[in-house]
Amino acid sequence: MPPLMRKTLRDQWRALLGWTVGVTAYLVAYMSFYPVVREDPGLYDRVAAAKFPGPLRDLMGVGDTLLGAGFLQIMLYQLVGALLFVMFAASLGARAIADPERGGTLELIVTLPISRRRLLLERFGALAVTLLLFAAATLVAMLVLNQVVGLRADAGRIAAAHTGLYLVALFFGTLTLGVGAATGRAAVRYVTAVAAVGAYTVETLGRSVAAIAWLRPLSPFHYYLDPRPLHEGWPWSYLVLVAATAAVLLASTPAFDRRDVGV
Amino acid sequence: MTAVRAEGLTKFYGARRGLEDLDLEVERGEVFGYLGPNGAGKTTTIRLLLDLIRPTRGRVRVLGGSPRDPAVRARIGYLPGDLRLEGDERADRYLAFLGEMRGGVSRDRIRELAERLDADLSVRMGRLSRGNRQKIGLIQAFMHDPELVILDEPSNGLDPLVQQEVHALVRQVRAAGGTVLMSSHVLTEVEQVADRVGIVRAGRLVAVEEIAALRERAVRRVELHFDAPVPEDAFRDLPGVRDLKLDGTSLRCTIDGRPDALIKAAARFTVVHLVSADPDLEEIFLTYYGDEEARHHAPADA
Repeated sequence: MPPLMRKTLRDQWRALLGWTVGVTAYLVAYMSFYPVVREDPGLYDRVAAAKFPGPLRDLMGVGDTLLGAGFLQIMLYQLVGALLFVMFAASLGARAIADPERGGTLELIVTLPISRRRLLLERFGALAVTLLLFAAATLVAMLVLNQVVGLRADAGRIAAAHTGLYLVALFFGTLTLGVGAATGRAAVRYVTAVAAVGAYTVETLGRSVAAIAWLRPLSPFHYYLDPRPLHEGWPWSYLVLVAATAAVLLASTPAFDRRDVGV
Repeated sequence: MTAVRAEGLTKFYGARRGLEDLDLEVERGEVFGYLGPNGAGKTTTIRLLLDLIRPTRGRVRVLGGSPRDPAVRARIGYLPGDLRLEGDERADRYLAFLGEMRGGVSRDRIRELAERLDADLSVRMGRLSRGNRQKIGLIQAFMHDPELVILDEPSNGLDPLVQQEVHALVRQVRAAGGTVLMSSHVLTEVEQVADRVGIVRAGRLVAVEEIAALRERAVRRVELHFDAPVPEDAFRDLPGVRDLKLDGTSLRCTIDGRPDALIKAAARFTVVHLVSADPDLEEIFLTYYGDEEARHHAPADA
């Protein structure tokens, strides 16, 4: 592995550990609640229905039942997972170029014998790997808990949904990294946050709100949520997310290559 | 051979001038002092030399190539003016990373430099004191034995003993045929090691001089004491002599350039004591930099 990528991974190690422990603790807490739901599924279905009327059900990912995959959908593979994964990815993306540039630490790195293009690529590599380790660790935790609490959803479909979360998060992390590299502004993380919230809302509320339904294909979440990977398994639409991520990376490279650093 | 060549180098930050029409040549094997007050354009020049920023106009060549070429940058050592180091690992680990990026630097070389500068490499980066951080910066600038060393205000936060060691490192680079460009607003710092100095003011290079020539043009304060009172007529209107003050047996004056005329005039009397202060670059500098007004219009060092 090239030295800069290795060094970046080392610097991200603590954040990775923190996020993994935090999200795993969340999973343990909520999955341990599942046996109670299973005792009386009808009750919790009614509670959910009363709490989230109409389009809010789409927003929260509340399905017909809270049993099995329906439980997982609400707990991780909808709003919460999107929020957690995208937040972590965006923070990694901001730490790649924009933050060190504002903090002044990028100055020495840019003068090293490495091209700007390569620098950006290695930072992206570190982002992708750290996020992958995070996704893998939380997937393992999820698969174990799936058995332990007796939920017994299909492991292959859980893996498919988890991969979707990873790809959506990687897209937004790369967007943060790319916009930061192209502009050098640390405020990029807020831009991504707004973009992610907007994209999520468009995809989920767009199902029942006709006025924004046509925007759904523009939302990265569309290619993760629409094919319902937790229920249907691996979708081809993930390739769109991969392609979009590559496009963002490619588009930001010339801008970073051309501009002044640290001004 | 030239180590650094800039032609008509100009940098504007939007409408703000950072540097304008800089022509500069630094020869290989010399130590070049780059002088100017804060905000004059020193850092802008240096950042152009390292391809951190791109010129608005003009050309820059470093070690015969373009600083955009990573292979050219591999032959440069650089100490930023406001050094910030990435991450929170131990300093020696960070230095090992930088060494790896530059194609490998031995542990012994790093240890040797750390001993010379009295730097503690076991400290985590986040806890480095200002002085210690500057030392880490200096180690990484010199450790790969670069052909060109660029130091932006190297004495920041260093005590005089360490400064002397830095000067020794600079002289070593020169002895090995390397080139050093060091910027400073403290003239004494450059005076001791530089062969030539360039003076930059308000974004423009106003003078390039050899240190020896600068000394010759230097303003000197001279004090002569005689065994008996001397007539003022004998010293009036001597070439190069200003601010003459006679007070019985003692004479004080300021000399521009050579002291020859004064010495010959004094030779007719019995001189019992002579004091000549070393030419002060500060004063030479002020003759270039002169009016306070320019200071107010100087652009910021970005």
